[in-house]
Amino acid sequence: MNGITLFAPELTVVATALVVLLIGLFLNTESKKVLGYLASAGLFASLVLTLMNLDANAVMYSGTLTVDALSQFFKIVFLIVALLVSVASIKYTENNEHVEEYFTLVLLAVVGMMMVASSNDLLVLFISFELASISTYALAGFERRNLKSLESAMKYFIIGALSSALMLFGISFVYGLAGTTNIPEIAQNSAMLVSSPLGIVSIVLLVAGFGFKIALVPFHMWAPDTYEGSPSVVSSLLAAGSKKMGFVAAFKVFMIALVALKTELTMAFAILSVITMTLGNVIALSQNSVKRMLAYSSVAQAGYISMAFVVMSPMAITGGLFYILSHGFMKAGAFLVTAVVGYMILSENREAENVDHLENFKGLAKRMPISAFSMMIFVFALAGIPLTAGYMSKFVLFSSTIEAGLVWLAVIAILNSAISLYYYARVVKYMYFYPAEGERVSEPLPYALTLIAAVVGVLILGFWPEPFIQWAMEAANVLIAT
Amino acid sequence: MILPAIPLPFYLILSTVVFSIGLLGIMTKQNGVRLLMCVELMLNSANINLVAFSSYNNDITGQVFVLFTIALAAAEAAIGFGIFMAVYRMKYRIELNDFNILRW
Repeated sequence: MNGITLFAPELTVVATALVVLLIGLFLNTESKKVLGYLASAGLFASLVLTLMNLDANAVMYSGTLTVDALSQFFKIVFLIVALLVSVASIKYTENNEHVEEYFTLVLLAVVGMMMVASSNDLLVLFISFELASISTYALAGFERRNLKSLESAMKYFIIGALSSALMLFGISFVYGLAGTTNIPEIAQNSAMLVSSPLGIVSIVLLVAGFGFKIALVPFHMWAPDTYEGSPSVVSSLLAAGSKKMGFVAAFKVFMIALVALKTELTMAFAILSVITMTLGNVIALSQNSVKRMLAYSSVAQAGYISMAFVVMSPMAITGGLFYILSHGFMKAGAFLVTAVVGYMILSENREAENVDHLENFKGLAKRMPISAFSMMIFVFALAGIPLTAGYMSKFVLFSSTIEAGLVWLAVIAILNSAISLYYYARVVKYMYFYPAEGERVSEPLPYALTLIAAVVGVLILGFWPEPFIQWAMEAANVLIAT
Repeated sequence: MILPAIPLPFYLILSTVVFSIGLLGIMTKQNGVRLLMCVELMLNSANINLVAFSSYNNDITGQVFVLFTIALAAAEAAIGFGIFMAVYRMKYRIELNDFNILRW
């Protein structure tokens, strides 16, 4: 009985997905709008159920699933992102005949992410990872008459399939050496894994498998293409949700299962994170497509967050988790702004191409003040301007790096933040200091609501971070204790 | 021990060879269907590993794992072919070289 109540959030989302799919059969295209509201309601109910069991701590179903502070933290991040995405998608899927497939795929992807956060067994972890991945492959190619969307889906699919093959091959060796797929039991045998050459091979394969999802350099090639080509609402889910799933899987495997490995991994992750943040920021400087710029900035942010793997002190992991929470709001919000702008341009001219080009953001402050203001908040938060979520998370993460004695790493990260300010400020310049071309356009209500919600989230995390940092610390303790 | 005749390293060598063929194929081939076949090879090499380890450890988990992976590989292939079909309808080709709208 206890298991069912703790598992209720996932079950709610699955039930909503099936109901949406079923009801969609009986509706005509005009009335399919209701499915978006239904999906959002299901996600909201699941969010409430998760919040009710915030301090639960249990291992369920023969030790395959665990509910603890860490899993609840990530589930809430995924559900908030999914809620923002699904409310915004109500307008995006308007007059589309495939609404039910769209929302079912979004909901199933979210279930996969939530199960990864809860998994206590490599089998469950792998299956949920695939559930989320396979749903998002289809979502990336949702606009099936748009070659750009198809190209992004194709690239995402091939790289994603490769990464899951690498991950599975790594898992097979871990299973062979440890004799079990249960994560805490692997932790007991992890000393053996480190001493065997096969163990090292499996760890390299696992780093590559998760690295593809997180978009760490050199496994990042798919990310800019996919984020740029897929529908903006889907990019938002990918950047803010799917990427965090890679992080929680990596946290579970590298910090709980392979705990004996901490010292060996430090240098490897330090190099990966430095290359990732530098390359992401430098390439983002020369982008003219806002979505592509955000994609490279997302690569850079993955570099900052993976500093938590390098330092591995409780404070650093807290910083990493808090960064993940705030990055969810900032990145989802920023991609949703590009979705609004794209929607506006396409509703004026159906044949428009490259709707995410920086030129289209000229004078946005006059044309769409809400979008422009939210975009300004999001990019400033991403750059780490004080009083936003981005500043607080960078502050916690970087200061813990300095405390741990890795001053050089912190210096590189701060220099990188300085570089990133250039391309973020450029967007603001285009929006606020160029004359507007065209009339004032009012944002459709669902879009406006999600943008305002994301802005409020970013500002609350910036002004009043203590309770959230406390919460992240509790989640980090789960990783440290074992 | 169900498989006493063939020692474990032989299975590991076989799976590594199959895995490498798949990886090489992914890196060199351009046709979508071939890429999908290479991914299947890689997934199946992991299955060989799992079954061999399961048999030598006298632990059934590995074989259960394989059943799930086979189903997942099928789902992945279905989605992959779905995407390739959509591409084929637009371009009448599924060569990866043709895809160059998105680039930096």
